[in-house]
Amino acid sequence: MISIEHLTVKCDNKIILDDISMDIKKGEFVGILGPNGAGKTTLIKAILGLLDFPYQGSVKIDGLSAKEYMKIKRGLIGYLPQHAIVNWNMPIRVIDAVLIENVKPFGLFLKHSKRDMAAAEHWLSVFGVAEYKDTYIRELSGGQQQRVSLARCMIHNPELLILDEPNTAIDAVYNAKMYEILKELSRKNNMTIVMVSHDIGAVTTYVDEVMCLNVKLHCHGSVKNIDFATVFKEVYGKDMEIVIHGNQCKNCVVNKGSIR
Amino acid sequence: MIWDILIRAAVVGILLSVLLSVMSYFVVLRKMTFAGVGIAHSAFGGIALSFLLGLGGYLLPIVFSVLSSLLIAFMYKKGKMSEDSAIDVIFVFSMAFGVFILSMSDGYSANMLGILFGNILSVSYVDFILSLFVFVFGFLFIAYYFSHFQLMSYNEELAYISGVRVDVLYYMFWVVLSIIIVLAIKLIGIILVNAFLVLPTLVGLNLAKNYKNIVFVSMLSSTISIIAGISIAYLLDTPAGATIVLVFILLWVFSIAYNKIKT
Ligand SMILES: Nc1ncnc2c1ncn2[C@@H]1O[C@H](COP(=O)(O)OP(=O)(O)O)[C@@H](O)[C@H]1O
Ligand SMILES: [Mg+2]
Repeated sequence: MISIEHLTVKCDNKIILDDISMDIKKGEFVGILGPNGAGKTTLIKAILGLLDFPYQGSVKIDGLSAKEYMKIKRGLIGYLPQHAIVNWNMPIRVIDAVLIENVKPFGLFLKHSKRDMAAAEHWLSVFGVAEYKDTYIRELSGGQQQRVSLARCMIHNPELLILDEPNTAIDAVYNAKMYEILKELSRKNNMTIVMVSHDIGAVTTYVDEVMCLNVKLHCHGSVKNIDFATVFKEVYGKDMEIVIHGNQCKNCVVNKGSIR
Repeated sequence: MIWDILIRAAVVGILLSVLLSVMSYFVVLRKMTFAGVGIAHSAFGGIALSFLLGLGGYLLPIVFSVLSSLLIAFMYKKGKMSEDSAIDVIFVFSMAFGVFILSMSDGYSANMLGILFGNILSVSYVDFILSLFVFVFGFLFIAYYFSHFQLMSYNEELAYISGVRVDVLYYMFWVVLSIIIVLAIKLIGIILVNAFLVLPTLVGLNLAKNYKNIVFVSMLSSTISIIAGISIAYLLDTPAGATIVLVFILLWVFSIAYNKIKT
């Protein structure tokens, strides 16, 4: 579904991504791990055609450039940007936020259609925030806002779901639930999911494939084939100590330094 | 005769200020009031220049203002250096340039006052027709693209992915705004234009919660200020532009009080 060949991104001579090549198949649930400034967000932007500086190499979705793909399959990409770059101060209700991508001529004078409303309510309830549908988005907690964003991504049943740190501000209990929902979507609807996360334990528990990124792509493969102890030392540096439990929890990580 | 002038003034004032109110929703939401104010002031140079050259028309000020607004919009977008300082430079340059030029022409202080506060009671038929035209065009533009701009204010990347032509619309917004501003400055003056770029939405935010109501309240508050301002100016024989601003500020103070009492 996504194919990246020899992608190199530079900004003022600083290398942000160095010769990345990878393939993501349809229906795969991929987790991208890496420290801050590793270039995870940049990689996602490259996939979506959102990079605002020149790059070398090629990025294709279903054999098309991101721009062509979006023209043909408008709405079939669900994208959750990093939480902080969304304007949560807008004077809109949750229901309007979930349907905000339905841009229509003369939208100021229009109401949502019954079908859109039903879809919005459905996805809000999937993510457990249906009761807030008439609340203003600025009055929600960070975690609730993030769940509203997840519902927004799903409104058009996307083929491709790209999530940049979806678990920011989401509490530990709901975190697991969120991963379950995503896992099920990828399996049932054959949805391709690319997720950036700092939650190493969860990522290695739920996803099919893991990519470890720090400027270079250090590893890419299915969870059981990766020697995390070695790779994480490489990617996160020596401040990281990894404890892998035998059977209780597949990969639990204790970090001495800070990941964030 | 006086009624003819008053009604013409009120109609033009209401049309332009209602239009500015809708635009101000996005100017305030995107925290770009300083850019808006910068554009309004950079029109000053163009207007002064057309006075000196003895050209009464709108062409030169519009060209001047559109170019500087594109420059400001571009700097805001790229935002490498501190864009506020860059806007400040354009703003100050245009004001200084305008004053410099005005001082060489006859009737310096009359022209200066005219640019700062406008002269709404001297609306000619040409101004009237032109305002009508700009209002229809500008209102269609902002109403047609309202949900596009709404999404762009929420998150530009999402807008891009949803097929919104983000860059084109962004620059068009500033071009349309600067044309309205030039027209509005001649009639209601720079001070009033600045007031209408910010105050309507501030009043709207104090009195309403939903974006539709905010836009509606902002248009209503502009209309009320214009009508009340012109009436008071006529009765007390005060300058119309300044009176309208004072009425609007009073309205804004009431809206804050209402907001405080309610919560
Ligand atoms: N617009 C930009 N201008 C300059 N440098 C940038 C820009 N965007 C990202 N970078 C740099 O690229 C690197 C990778 O950033 P990013 O992809 O956001 O990392 P991550 O998402 O993994 O934390 C960082 O070192 C950052 O400073
Ligand atoms: Mg990031």
